[in-house]
Order: sequence, then structure tokens, then C-alpha cells
Amino acid sequence: MFQKTLAFRIFFTISAIIIGCFVFLPLLWLINTALKPSSETFSLYFFFGPLTIENIVSILTNGTIMNYLKNSLIVSFLSSFFATLVSAFAGYSFSKFRYRGRKLVMGAFMMSQAFPQAILLLSIYLMMQRMGLLGSYWSLLISYVVFTLPVGTWTLKGYFDALPDSLIESAKIDGAGNLKIMRKIIFPMAVPGMISIAIYGFVWSWNDLLYSMTLVTDPARRTLAPGLVMTYLGEASTNWSAMMSASIVAAIPVTIIFVFLQRYFIAGLTSGAVKE
Amino acid sequence: MARDGRHGFSDAQVGFLLIVPGIAIFVAVILYPFISAIMMSFTDRTLLSPSYESVGFDNYIRIFTDPYFLKTVWTTIVFVVFSTLIPFTLGMIWAIILNQGFRGSEFLRGVTLVNWIIPGTAIGFLWSWIFNSQYGILNGLLSSLGLIDNNISFLGQTSTALICVIIARSWQMLPWYMAFLLGGLQSVPMDRIEAARIDGANNLQVFRHIVIPGMKQIFFLVLILGAIGNLQHFDIPWTMTQGGPARATTTLSLEVYRTAFQNWKLGQAATVGTVWAILLAAFSFVYLKQVKESE
Repeated sequence: MFQKTLAFRIFFTISAIIIGCFVFLPLLWLINTALKPSSETFSLYFFFGPLTIENIVSILTNGTIMNYLKNSLIVSFLSSFFATLVSAFAGYSFSKFRYRGRKLVMGAFMMSQAFPQAILLLSIYLMMQRMGLLGSYWSLLISYVVFTLPVGTWTLKGYFDALPDSLIESAKIDGAGNLKIMRKIIFPMAVPGMISIAIYGFVWSWNDLLYSMTLVTDPARRTLAPGLVMTYLGEASTNWSAMMSASIVAAIPVTIIFVFLQRYFIAGLTSGAVKE
Repeated sequence: MARDGRHGFSDAQVGFLLIVPGIAIFVAVILYPFISAIMMSFTDRTLLSPSYESVGFDNYIRIFTDPYFLKTVWTTIVFVVFSTLIPFTLGMIWAIILNQGFRGSEFLRGVTLVNWIIPGTAIGFLWSWIFNSQYGILNGLLSSLGLIDNNISFLGQTSTALICVIIARSWQMLPWYMAFLLGGLQSVPMDRIEAARIDGANNLQVFRHIVIPGMKQIFFLVLILGAIGNLQHFDIPWTMTQGGPARATTTLSLEVYRTAFQNWKLGQAATVGTVWAILLAAFSFVYLKQVKESE
């Protein structure tokens, strides 16, 4: 795109170094701190010095934190599953059916990400309290689905739009019911989109702090993000190497998904706003 | 109207049944809570007792005459503007660099995205550690370079705390902007660039007259979406400073949370939230209008 003139080379090199350092050094410092023996936490060496995995092992054998991790996995898997299912239904409905109020519902779904989450939380908290769901995973599952819904509906609608109506018509002539058409024809065609949306939903709920901190107050059910905040913030003397190790452990599941499903991941990440 | 013989539903009915789960959740988690929060803003409701009374516009009058509230609005604006523009600019330059297609650029693109996917809580921890006043690497570097004599309490003083939070948030979001902008760069028509080259255009002219106009729409979308995300943002300031010191990093989302769930004043929190929702609505309106035009 740009010619490699001297000016461009200078610009290229200087900004590559500055931005490269900004992007990569903090994460390396996190890993570096996690790998230092506790006695060396405060020394400034960068990987060249004694290293150990004992901090990470001690997090992985810490029952409380592993319980948070397990809870997060349960909540994230379930909410990602529900969100994808609800989005697929809604996307299919918007794409292939015509009924009154369709445009209105589409607009409403699309807006839902723009409502301030903290204010919704006030009433959701009271509502869950009244229904006795405060502290149960249901309160989180229901809340998380809605945050995937706009992106999910829109992305999957795009996939369904690409399917010719004649495909559905001919299946109908062959006597297939709506459920069968969905299960055998429609949804299989949208599998890549559904994977992207499932990842999006998973990452959203995995990273959420605000809702999980407020709605689940029972320590045994607490998920990872609020669990770590409660464990490490407000300690008299902060155990930095444990904090950094816990951060690595918290990042592992999403990083694994990212490494193996990178294509879907980037599609999910950018699907929210860009029209194909 | 075509009928599905087996179930007896018309197509329109099937279509509607399919969005019922979505609508039910939307009403339960967005619509009802939103309306009920606006109504709550006219009451003195607390989390401590179930009884409450209507107080008219008292909450609104209180927050608009409260210097702390105006400061919170200002902090929010500063946070949103800089946490959007800094990673946008750096993400754009980074996208241009990665778009040059040198060896390893694919790999670098992948690794860059890791910053975006790790939990905000972990990012808050990491940057608290970097900025730590006693043992942080930043203080360590500055003092070994002889630039400072005494350690600086970056997160403990009002003049620097907000800057630190903005840096951490920018670090988290840079990959997100990069991913969008890289896609945008790749959609700029190459034949137009080549034609301009033949006419003798240099890099700067190509950038100004072809790349920027070609990416206008995507610039607009990422800036609006980025600003909406920052207006909502909670995790990083909360884990780094809990809104302190002396409210220096308290944005509207932290303020709503604190008023409701630490001071138990639901009515007041709802009032702050309603004012905030109006701010957000302005952004969302611009966004929706743009999306409509691009359709």
C-alpha cells in the first residue's frame, strides 16, 4: 500500500518499536512476575534470572480459586449455548419470516447493547431478589444472553439471508416440518457463524465482573473475575506473584479457544459492526 | 397463507414463535429494568428497606447541584475521549505496520489480540502492578535511569491516577481497533492507489486522498462503538483504583454501582443512571443513523 521511501521506513521502524513495546512488554512482564520465585518478586530482572512454576502450581492447587474457575466454566458454557440458540432462532425468524412488528423487534434487539448496564443492574438485582434467584446462576445466564443477542442475531441473520428460499420451499414440498427444516437444513448451514457467536458469548461472560460481582454473592458459587477481585484486592500486603499467576490462569481458557479457533474468533469480534 | 400441515401454525406464527425467547429475555433484562429504573429515580428507595416514597425531582436537583456529580461527568468525558482516541490512533498505525505484510506479521497480529481477550480483571491487576508505588517496574525503570529521586505513587495521587487507568484501557482495546482497521485497510481499492501512483502521488497524498476517504465509514463506526463501550466500562478502573483516590477515577458506571451497592441508595443511583442513559442514547442515535445509511 505504501512505498518504502526513507521517510516511510523511519516512520515504520520508530512506530513499530514504540507500539510493539507498548503492546507486548506488559504481558511479558506479567508472565515474568508469575514465574519468579516469591523471594524475587520485587527484583527487576526480565526472564534472565531464577524462574519457577511454583506460583502457578500453587494457584492450580488452590481449591477456592479452582472452584471459581469451575463456576466460571459452567456459567460461560451455558450462557454461550443459550445465547447462540436464542440468537439463531431470532436470526432465522428475522431472515425468512414476515410478520407485523418484525422491524420494531429488530430495532429493539439492536439497541440493547447501548443501554447502560449498571443502571439495568439496579432493577435486575431487585427482580432477582424478589424471584429468589439472587445468587443462583440463572440470574447471570439470563442477563448474559441479552448481551450476545444483538451481535448474534445480526450475524446469523446474515448467514440465513444467503440461503435461497427455494431450498426451504422444496423441503416443505417434500413434507418436512418447520422443526425438521431448521435442524437438518438451516442450522447446519450457519455453523461457522454459530461458532463465532458461541465464542463471543463465552468470552463476554468469562470476562464479566460487574454483573457476576453483584448478582452472585454466595462465595461457593462465585465466578472467577469477582473471585479474584475479592481474593486479592484489599489485602494488607498484596501477593503480586500470586496475583499475576492467577491472572494467567484466568486467561488460559479464552486463550486456548483463541489459538484453536482464531478464524471464528476474529469473525465474531468484528461481526458486531461491519456489514459484509 | 401457507400452512405447515403437521403443526397447524401459519408461517407468520412460526416466525413469531421463534423470537419469543429473545423477546422474553429482552423484556426481562433490558426493557423492564430500564423503565423501572427511570421510575425509581423519582423515589427515595434504598436497598435497606422495602418501603419508599416518591420524591419528585429531588434526586435530579440534588445531583445537578452536587459538585461531585459534575466532576464525575467530567471524569467520564475525559476517560471516554482519551480511551477511545489513543487506542484508535495507535491501532491505526499498528494496522498499517501489520498490513505491510513482512515475515511474521500474521503471527504478530494474532499475538496482539491476546491483550484484548484476557479478562479486564487480570488487566487491572497487571497495570496496578506496573504502576505500583513501591515495587512497580515503571518506578524501577525511572529511578534506575536517574529520572526520579523518589518513587511516584501513580495510582495514589489524583493528578496521575486517571492517566494510568486510561493507559491500561487503551492497552486492552488497541487490538480491537487494530482488527477492525486492518479489515478496513484491506478493503481500500488497490487500483485507485496504483492509478494515483502513476500520477505521481506520494505516500502522504495516497493516505490523505485515498486511504482516509475509503475508510471513513469504518472510522466512524469504530469510534462510536468504542465510545459506547467506554461509557459502559467498569472492570479496569474498578480493579485498579475502585474509583479513587478522592474520586479521581470515578466514572458514571462506577458511580452508579457505588451509590447503589455500597451506599444502598437505589433512587439516587437510578437518577445518575438515567442522566447517563441520555448521554449514551445520543451516541447510539448517531450510530444507528449511520448504520441505516450504510444499508
